[in-house]
Parts: sequence; C-alpha cells; structure tokens
Amino acid sequence: MMRKLYRNIAIVTAVFILILTAMLAVSYYQMQQVSPLETGVMETLKELNETNGDNELLQQQIRELDLLSRKAYFVKEGQLKMGLYLLLGMALVLVTCLNLYYKETKNLPDKEFDPIDEWAIKTNARKYISWVAVVVAVVCVCLVGLQHIDFKGLLAKSDGEVLEEAQVDEAEAGESQDSQTQEAADTLATEEAKAEESDSAKVEDDMPELKVSSKAFRGNNSSGVSSARGIATSWNLNGKKNILWQSSIPKHGYNSPVITGRNVFITGADAKARELYCYDVWTGELKWTLKADGIAGSPSTMPKVNADTGLAASTVATNGEQVCAIFATGDVICADMEGKRLWAKNIGLPDNHYGYASSLLMYGSTLIIQYQNNSNAKILALNAKNGNTIWSKGAKDKIAWSSPIIATLGGKSALVVMGNPAIAAYNLSNGNELWRVECMSGEVGSSPACAGGVVFGASEYAKCIAIDGATGETLWEASDYLPECSSLAATKDLVFCATSYGMVCAYDAKTGEVKKEHDLTTPFYSSPVVVDGKVYLFSNSGKVYIFSASTFDLITSFETGEKTFATPAFTDGIMIVRTDKSLYCVKKK
Amino acid sequence: MMGIIYSLNTMAVARFPKPDFTSGYEYPEIIHGVPNELFWNVMDIVLLIAMMGLVVWAAYKKRGRSIILSMSVVSVLYFGFFRSGCVCSVGSIQNVVMATVDSDYNLPLYVLLLFLLPIIFALLFGRVFCSGVCPLGALQELVNVRNFRLSRAVSATLSMIPWGYLAFTILYAATRSQFLICRLDPFIGIFRLGGDIGVMSFGILLLIMSIFIGRPFCQFLCPYGALLSVFSSLSWKKLEITNKGCINCSLCGVACPVDAIRPPQSSKMKEERKRGVKRIILFAILLPVLTFTGAVLVGSQSDALSLAHKDVYLYEMLLRQEANPELDEPLEVETFNALGGNMEELKAKVDGIRSDYEFYSYFAGAFIGFVIGFKLLKLSLKRGRKTYEIDMARCTMCGKCFNYCPQNLKTSK
Repeated sequence: MMRKLYRNIAIVTAVFILILTAMLAVSYYQMQQVSPLETGVMETLKELNETNGDNELLQQQIRELDLLSRKAYFVKEGQLKMGLYLLLGMALVLVTCLNLYYKETKNLPDKEFDPIDEWAIKTNARKYISWVAVVVAVVCVCLVGLQHIDFKGLLAKSDGEVLEEAQVDEAEAGESQDSQTQEAADTLATEEAKAEESDSAKVEDDMPELKVSSKAFRGNNSSGVSSARGIATSWNLNGKKNILWQSSIPKHGYNSPVITGRNVFITGADAKARELYCYDVWTGELKWTLKADGIAGSPSTMPKVNADTGLAASTVATNGEQVCAIFATGDVICADMEGKRLWAKNIGLPDNHYGYASSLLMYGSTLIIQYQNNSNAKILALNAKNGNTIWSKGAKDKIAWSSPIIATLGGKSALVVMGNPAIAAYNLSNGNELWRVECMSGEVGSSPACAGGVVFGASEYAKCIAIDGATGETLWEASDYLPECSSLAATKDLVFCATSYGMVCAYDAKTGEVKKEHDLTTPFYSSPVVVDGKVYLFSNSGKVYIFSASTFDLITSFETGEKTFATPAFTDGIMIVRTDKSLYCVKKK
Repeated sequence: MMGIIYSLNTMAVARFPKPDFTSGYEYPEIIHGVPNELFWNVMDIVLLIAMMGLVVWAAYKKRGRSIILSMSVVSVLYFGFFRSGCVCSVGSIQNVVMATVDSDYNLPLYVLLLFLLPIIFALLFGRVFCSGVCPLGALQELVNVRNFRLSRAVSATLSMIPWGYLAFTILYAATRSQFLICRLDPFIGIFRLGGDIGVMSFGILLLIMSIFIGRPFCQFLCPYGALLSVFSSLSWKKLEITNKGCINCSLCGVACPVDAIRPPQSSKMKEERKRGVKRIILFAILLPVLTFTGAVLVGSQSDALSLAHKDVYLYEMLLRQEANPELDEPLEVETFNALGGNMEELKAKVDGIRSDYEFYSYFAGAFIGFVIGFKLLKLSLKRGRKTYEIDMARCTMCGKCFNYCPQNLKTSK
C-alpha cells in the first residue's frame, strides 16, 4: 500500500518537476531577450535629454523609469529563484520517494549485461578501447589535415588542371587536321601555353592565404598602421629584385591601392572616362575594369582641377564584399568583387578649386564620404549595398582635402574627420557629433591618426595637436614640423610626420616634443605607414625611407626610380605601390 | 535548468550599468575579503584527516556503511556548501603542476596537504578520500537510489576518460592557461548556488544520472580519482568484504555501484596459452608505439590547443579583426586598443606560450598513448581468483558490499 503511495508521489513529483522546469526555462529565455534599460521609451527620453539638457522634469522621468525597469527585472529574477528553490524541494521529495519505493527491491540482482566470464569481458573491453583509440587517432589526423590543406589553392590547382587538359585536347585535335608545319607550330604554342600554365600554377601553388587586408587609404580604417609582417626592406624595379610583378595603369590618378583577398583596387580618370580597376595581387593581371558612366546627374564636362590633384585623387574603399569609388565629378560607383556594378549615383559636382580629394571609408556595409565642397560640405553615410543614404550631416567647416578615419575612442569605434577649422568625432551609427576641437586653419590636406585612444592631427600653417579621444580635451600642441599633403601615422609612443619641404620627424605621442627629426631635402606627399615595427615612407621622387617605428632612426633608404605620390598598401609579406605610371608588387624572394 | 537560473545574479550585474549619480556620491572602495583564513584552512585539514580516519575505521574494522554515509552528509555540507568546494583535493593537482613548472608560483602548504593526504591514505588503505570525504563523490552517493548496471566492457572503456582529462589538466596548468578542473567542475555551481550555465547543467545531468548509476563522475571523469587508483592498487592494506570467508554468493558484486568487485576467475572462453602470450608480446611492443603516436598526434594540435590561453586567443582575435575590420569589435579587442596594447609585445609573448604548448602537448599525448597501451596490456593478463575480491583501483569504499554480504550479517548477529 505504502509502496504504491511512494510510487504515485514520485510520479506526480516528476511530472511537476518537468512542468516547472519548462516554465522556468521559458521565463529565463524571456528575461534573456529583454534589455530593460534599452526600451524604445527610454531611448527616446534619452535622446530628448541630449538635445534638451536642462529639462529637470525629463531627467526625473528618466530616473523613475530607470528605477522601475531595474525593479521589474529583479522582481522577476526573485520569482525565478523562488521557482528554483521549489524545484530543489521537489527533487528532494522525488529522491526520497524513489528511495522508499525501491527500499525492498533495490538490493535484488540487476539484469546481467555481460557474459558471466571475466575473460570475455576483458576481450570486449580490449576491442572497444582499440576502436575508440583508432577513432580518436583518425579524428586527430583529420584535424591535422584540415589545418594544412589549402582548399582555395586546391580549387585553383584543379581549375588549372582542367584548363591544361582542354588545351592538350585542342592541340591533339589540331594535330590530326593540320599540316606538318602547322603541327609543329601548334606543338610549340601548346608547349608555350603549358609553360605559362606551369608558371601560373606555380605562383598559385605558392600562394598562401592573405590574412591582412588594407581596405582603405593608408590601410584598414585609414589608420596608417598595418599588421602585415615580413615586408621587404629593399627592392629594385630595374633588376626586379624582390619585385613580384609590375603592371601598367590605363588611366592616371593619385589615389592609393587597397587590398582585400587577392584583389587590388585603384582608380584612374581622364577627360574621357573614369574607371575602377581590379588587379590580381599575385600576378598583377588586370582582372576587370568598371567605368563610371551613364550616371544620372553626372556633369557632361569635367570640372577644372589642379594637375597635382587630378580627377581620381580619392582612394577607393572596400569591405571585402563591395568596393566603392568616387571621382572629382561627384560620381560614386560601387561594385562587387567580380566587377559587377551594384549601383552608382552622383552626389553633386563638388565646388572644389583644386579638385575633390577626400578618400572613401567603409565601416561594415556603411560607406562614409567626407564630401568636401565650398558651398555645402557634408558627411554622408550610404548603404554600400544599394547606395541609400543612412545618415547625412552638414559640416560646419570650410573646404578641405582631408580623409576620414575610424578610431577607437573610449573603447568604441568612432568616425574622426579633420577640416578647417575643426577636428571632430562622430557617432558612426547616426552621425551625431561626439566632440569638436577647432584648431586648424588654411588648406587642410592631411588626415588625422589615432593611437591609444588619442587623436592626432596636423596641417601646414596650423599646428600639430593631440586630443583625448574619449573627452575631446586637447592634450598638447606643437608646431615644429607640419605636413601639407602627407598624413600622420602614430603608435602609442610616437607620431610620425612628413612635410612637403623635406623634413620628417617623430613627435612624442604623450608630450608633443620632437623626439627625432631628419632633413631629407625631398618633398613628401605620400603618407608614412607603420608596418612590422618599421615606418615606410615614399618621397615624391620615389625614394624609399624605412625608419624604426620605436626610435625613428633611419634604417635604410634607396631610389626606386618612379615618382610616387600614393601611399602603399600592405598585406602578408606584400607591398603594393602605385607610382605615377605603374602599379608594382614588392615581395621578398 | 538550475544552472541557468543560478547564474542570473552574475548576469544581472553585467546587464545593469551603475546608476549615474549627479549628487557627488562617491563609490566606496571595494574591499576583497581573504578567501581562506588560517583557522578554516587548519579546520579543513583536521576534518580531512579525521574523516578519512573514520572511513578507514568503518571500512576495515566495522565493515559498515552507516558511518561512511554520515561522512558523506558532513562532507557535502562542510566541504561542499559551507566551504564552497574550494580548494579541493581534486583541483589541487593543478596547483602542484604549476608549482612544479613555475618556480615563482608559491604553493601553499594547505594546498599541498590537500593534494598529498588522500594519496598517502590511498597508499595505506585505498581510495578512502573518494568514499565519503570528497564532496563531489558524496553528493552523488547521497542521491543514488538504484544501480542500473552498465556493461563492464563499456565501463572499462569509459574509465579511460579520466586519464585524458588528467593529461589535459596538466597541459593547461603547466602552460598557465587555465585550471581546467575548476572550470569544468560540474558540482561547484551547485555548492555555490551560481556559475557557468553549461557546466552547471552538466552537473545537474550527472546528478540525475547518479540516481540510477553509481557515481558517474567518479567512475568516468574524475582525474584525481584516476591518480588515486594507481596508489590504491599499490596500497599496503587490501580491503576485504568479509573476514568470515567468502561463500561466492555474488551479492557483493551485484551491490557494487562502481564495478569494483572481481568475481572468481572461471573462464569459459578457452584460448590457447600461446595465443595469449603472443597478444601480450604484441601489446608490449605496441606500448611504446602508442606512446609515440599519442605524442605526435596531440603535439600536432598544439597550436589549436594553445587557443585556451587568453593571450593566444586575444592575439588571434586581433588578427581576425585586423583582417575583417567591418566586423563588430569584440570587447577584448576594444580593450586592447583602448589601453594602447602593443601587438609586437603580444606576439612575442604568444610565441613563448606556443612553444610551451608544443612541448607539453607532446608530453600529454605520450601520456595518453601510454595509458591506452598499458590498459590494453593489463586487459590481456589473466589472474586466477577463487573468491570475490575487491579491485582496490576501482573501489571507492562506499561500503555497500559490506551490508550485502551474508557472512557480515551473520557476524553482526
């Protein structure tokens, strides 16, 4: 009788536990989904408070709502805890009832799984352990294999083999039809084709996966710092020492290369056409060209621009899926990695007496344009997938030629732009101004830099300034050496500056004191980039200077022989340089 | 489920930022209490010795289970809930390993004693600590209602897991990556009423299993249990089910929840002696081969394993972020950048860690390979037995067999 009772209590308790567990799980899941302090009402009130900071009543409402949200959350949590204690109590009842139910029978022999033979059990155990060991070993070997197989390389090789086979078949067909002379010519052609295939395949076989990208002017986020490693410190364009390839560029431009995956992007323009080019990073082959034509609102005649600026001074930006370019006409085009045009629009012919020069920047799928114009300068955030405007902010500054950067300020990513007269930081998601420091003057062509949460900016005839990125407070100012076109690059210790009158220097990032300077008597338009503990810098004449990033001591310098105004782009062991007439790839051999 | 809910406290703190006070209120300075004061440390050691002594007395002299069960209750309440299950002897392996490889690491005497005392008792009397002194085992013992037996061959296979666990515990402790045992302790969250949801859920699952299977954690997971089993098999005193002579009734074997009673050897599978000898020779040859293979296989995974170290993980995150800046920055990367972290310094550090991992991964792999080889060799040996005997390596001294033995009942009458 009692045994039956225990059994029934155990069953009821088990069902109760199951139901309660399900209820608690649902309740817990609901709590997880809720962000009590991020409700629509709260957000709206906070936004109102930002624009109307002195409204005591509003602030009181926010406080009350905040308290209410917290209370509601913790009351719910208390209920969950109570449910848990109930669950524990029920579990105790279940175990007790089961114990009592099995009190008289639990000591009975259980069903015997094994043969009553010690040796048979050992034999089975040996078998199982051996199998488990083999399976574990196979899994380990597979893991090792997966780590070392280059799937992209294999695919590329596979494609190459198919192509090669097709060519052999074609050659065989030719042999049966053509004359002996023709046969010989075909054979020669086939051999040459094979040789080229072989070279190409060799390059692809050797091709490691490129982990480091350079997705905008001066690298990712336009930071002037790259995490690339193993960059050559000497090369020679004539002797092809450490030169993987050199390709010509169809149309002229001062913009810099960007790299993502195995694509290198640049633009070029003249009075006839404006074009976006994609090169192969391993071979230098021009993979595709996309023309910026047929765009509604695009001017029929080219704007008058300075020869030092040209029609394609702005560097493109990519996020690895889309690549966007802008030209002096105000035409913006965006393509996918295969060169398919996704959208194009004209954002207005910039009223710019030298020519439009600000480079693009991408943050996820948001395209940032620092639209420099004498009449209606603004900062635009467009959806890179379709060109729709996400937000637009009218700039209070005068025209400039600077490019925006993305910096980590107070632990969060923010947009930093430099103009005349201010350096300002903006919220990337809505364009709200975070802080603004009016410190610049004249024609601002240099771009800012950021390291360790400190924003650095400098421009000729103004000053070099360090601003606390979290607060917008000025940390120091200096005016020893100031850049004209070249932008700053910074580490947490030093700020590197190259001027158009031949002086280069490193400021102490904490004090603004000039730690080291070099009189190189050659102008610099290209910007320094910090790579692998070194600073790479090109003079306008094409002379390369490589400094130590920690001491700014000159490590080496040499002439390349080609004028260089663009800033190089870096990836794993590779540097892509644009000169005034070609694009070349530096790689240690 | 309990795990999910217990962790709410911790999550709530993270979810709510501190209120913005505008009244000039200043937060009080946070004072961290000293976790283990001397008095309680001494108390732990005294209780540990006393409880193990009582278990020895109960097992060897009284041959009764009631005292052992009482010890289990005390252990769960004191070492478990009151002392929050830390530092425990199981986790002390890691401290000892760290002290061995790092001369700068100061191993407290208290922790050393927690590590050594159960081993000393195991060398003398068997796995006394596992009996009713270890709070993890005691908790499982207390909820156990009925034992549904697993196949002994399957049990023997599953009992290899603790050795792998021990190997990786040593690897992670030696490379100063993390204390794996503490991190994956399934019952600590229950004792502390809070912890990682996944681990606590696993703990709950183990407890539910414990209702119908004897001590699943002790049998198939505990790395300290694996260590103690070695010393226990060499113990000075061997536990006997009865001192009145075994009548081969097999009840003790049925009662044992951890399959530690070995029946009389009466092989029905006839095998030529020559074949058996050949097998032993084969496994003896395989032993170094398996050791080497294990070393190579685990050693080849050292880079992947090294991701368990926070610096290596951060470095990989930074590289990934650098390659894909469009992705949302993880908090770690944001912090690293905000603090002006130096990538080169980090890389140098990571290189050193990876080098350590390479060395210790080979060691861990060799250890696992050796254990598998040794187990296969052991399973190839035949040993004659005329009565039911206790396998000291497996026996957790729960005392159930004493109560089942009709000879003991006769004695008590």
